[in-house]
Amino acid sequence: MTARIPAARIDIRAHACPVTWVKARIALGRIAEGEVLEVLLVDGEPRENVPRSAEEDGHRVVRLEPAPEEGAGTWRAWLERGAPREERTWP
Amino acid sequence: MALSEAEVARYARQLLLPGMGEGAQETLRGARVRVTGGGLATAPAVYYLAAAGVGTIWIDDPDLVTPDTGAGFALGRADAGRPRAAALAEFARSANALVTAEPFRPGMRATALLICGATPDVSRAIADEARLLQLPHVVADVDGQGGAATAVPVGAPCYACATRPGLGAPPTAEGGAAVGALAALELLLLLTSVSQEPRARRVEVFRGTPLVRATERQPGCACMGPSAAGLAP
Repeated sequence: MTARIPAARIDIRAHACPVTWVKARIALGRIAEGEVLEVLLVDGEPRENVPRSAEEDGHRVVRLEPAPEEGAGTWRAWLERGAPREERTWP
Repeated sequence: MALSEAEVARYARQLLLPGMGEGAQETLRGARVRVTGGGLATAPAVYYLAAAGVGTIWIDDPDLVTPDTGAGFALGRADAGRPRAAALAEFARSANALVTAEPFRPGMRATALLICGATPDVSRAIADEARLLQLPHVVADVDGQGGAATAVPVGAPCYACATRPGLGAPPTAEGGAAVGALAALELLLLLTSVSQEPRARRVEVFRGTPLVRATERQPGCACMGPSAAGLAP
């Protein structure tokens, strides 16, 4: 398996919902389809919700693991940007 | 230019709406909307445009605040006698300090209009000006406790083509709030293009029942001729 290098990295440990996912979503919008975004987040709500929201938005969670070397309680998520989704939900 | 930390925090929930994202929010920030007319929908429309992050809002209203201005949530007793445009601009800035809002002055070049005329005749005259200038616009008509919002993208059937008789009831502040909010939303959808649905349409809310229909050009209307492309003198 080829090791992958994230195209971008963000740290959302200082933020709370919904800004955590908003910042991840914006960062995903700035990389190309198939590229990976590394997200540093804290355990609890961000660890549960950011990967789930990414999958619901059509992206793929490549990794989700503790990252104690970044600080106590820190987790690392690698999110691979998916294809742009057709959204026609506005009336 | 990318959104700032303050903008991301301010618009976080809006950025999660379907189709919205950094690009659409930047588009709103770059928009210059002239809100014109002294109708009851003006203050609510200004509020929603500011809250959504329309970067520049110019209020085109030459009148003074009076007790019957009908925007009690926006303008207080202390505003009586002040120029309404200045008072509403201040209100817009208080709703969102990240936007610029000021009274309209000749020479300011808007990218879109939100028309809140006190009467349909006033709105029709302004809408015709917007059509000739090839500016997208939305017209808010307050009718009783409801009314209609007519969205006119560039080249679409004009407001006169789209207008239909309503109830003809005296406008109320409640109707102004509902239609002002609706008209602001229609303009936001026009500006951001977040929807693939046809945007040349009229949304009517009478007696609490919404009705949405695509607008159609009326035979013989001036908007069919050369002026439709902004070529008329």
